[in-house]
Amino acid sequence: MDWYSRQSFLGHESRHALHAARIAVVGLGGGGSHVCQQLAHVEVGKIIAIDPDRIGASNLNRLVGGTRLDVLLHRRKTSIAKRQIRRVNPNARVLACPHQWQKCLDVLKWSDIVIGCLDRVRAKDELDAFCRRYLIPFVDIGMDVHQISSGYLIAGQVVLSFVGGPCLRCLGVVTDTVLADEARQYGAAGANPQVVWPNGVLASSAVGLAIQILTPWQQLPVEAAFLQYDGNVGTISESHRLAAWSGGCPHYPAEQRGDPGFRLQGHSFA
Amino acid sequence: MKLYLKAPRSLVLQIRTDLNRRHAFAHERVGFLTVGASLLDDGALLLIVRDYSRVDDADYEEDPSCGARIGGGAFRKALERAYRARSGLVHIHSHGGPGLPVFSKIDLKSGKEFVPGFFEAIPSMPHGMMVLSSDRAAGLFWLHKRGAPAPLRSVAFVGAPLLKFEAQ
Repeated sequence: MDWYSRQSFLGHESRHALHAARIAVVGLGGGGSHVCQQLAHVEVGKIIAIDPDRIGASNLNRLVGGTRLDVLLHRRKTSIAKRQIRRVNPNARVLACPHQWQKCLDVLKWSDIVIGCLDRVRAKDELDAFCRRYLIPFVDIGMDVHQISSGYLIAGQVVLSFVGGPCLRCLGVVTDTVLADEARQYGAAGANPQVVWPNGVLASSAVGLAIQILTPWQQLPVEAAFLQYDGNVGTISESHRLAAWSGGCPHYPAEQRGDPGFRLQGHSFA
Repeated sequence: MKLYLKAPRSLVLQIRTDLNRRHAFAHERVGFLTVGASLLDDGALLLIVRDYSRVDDADYEEDPSCGARIGGGAFRKALERAYRARSGLVHIHSHGGPGLPVFSKIDLKSGKEFVPGFFEAIPSMPHGMMVLSSDRAAGLFWLHKRGAPAPLRSVAFVGAPLLKFEAQ
């Protein structure tokens, strides 16, 4: 029995595929820290960890791997993610990018999959657009706590967005109304309400979607998914919005793929 | 020169289906891809497939030297589509069978004649030619009208499942 024996059902070439995979995780808070740890456990070969922030005391309720000492030392979230990944898999190649993802475009462009764990809907929208432009499957996770008459509702979603399928705008995750609401107020239970267990459920679902892209585990792998999480009931199910999608994403036409305004002239190539 | 190419897996399946259709007299069908491009941080050029267009049955011509070829109308239509979106243009056909495909001598000779001509319409983008097998692909791309072509180094058919492979 070795490391891989319990996941050999993923397929006889899956270990090679996982070693050769480059997955970018954008946002290393409650969701992204879970994702990084799981990618290390399944032996993904290269993990690109992106987050400009440093850990604070309010992150300790959910940031996997974060410690009180990290808070005292004001460590970068990318450093914590890298340490956590290396503790599990010392052979993993980890590229830590302690910047806004918009400053890491070159490494993101050549990623096989991007997993977005971003709070802001505007940021999700922009990352979806980027992934569509560079033909990268994009898995987005998000959770919210809403105040309702009987208390609080924990809700979340996991979306797999890729060309040929619906984007976040097609599925109604990103709308002008949501963007406007976000600009006014975030959540209904105070600033950025987040807890560890829904993050874990959503992160695990996102990793599952990534693995079915990389390995022949599923007979019929999906290129589009919209999973909704009801944290009060404890269920995760396919959203009716995916089934209701009429086909044909109007938001990201194929002719936009590649660098905008690319010209051969003026470049030197290796 | 390092050249990488990404194409949507679902589009590759459509292309194979189209190229496998029988034609009245042409032994091989051909089609055209349009591509966008991006410079990577290691100086490599990433080509990203945008779309595919088939060649109409009527645009094939009988040719005693090789059986059949496509006429000027097919090239003109493909160039017009590529020009509108400022895309690179890629001539593509299939040899079938598994494994890394290889261009024939006729492929190479004709490609060296027609691909540099694409730069007349769209000088700012790379252009090339590709050949598919049932599970792999190979390609040659030109970055200048008068330069020598460079082979694709690696290819990814992106989707579920993802397929990445060395193309040389």
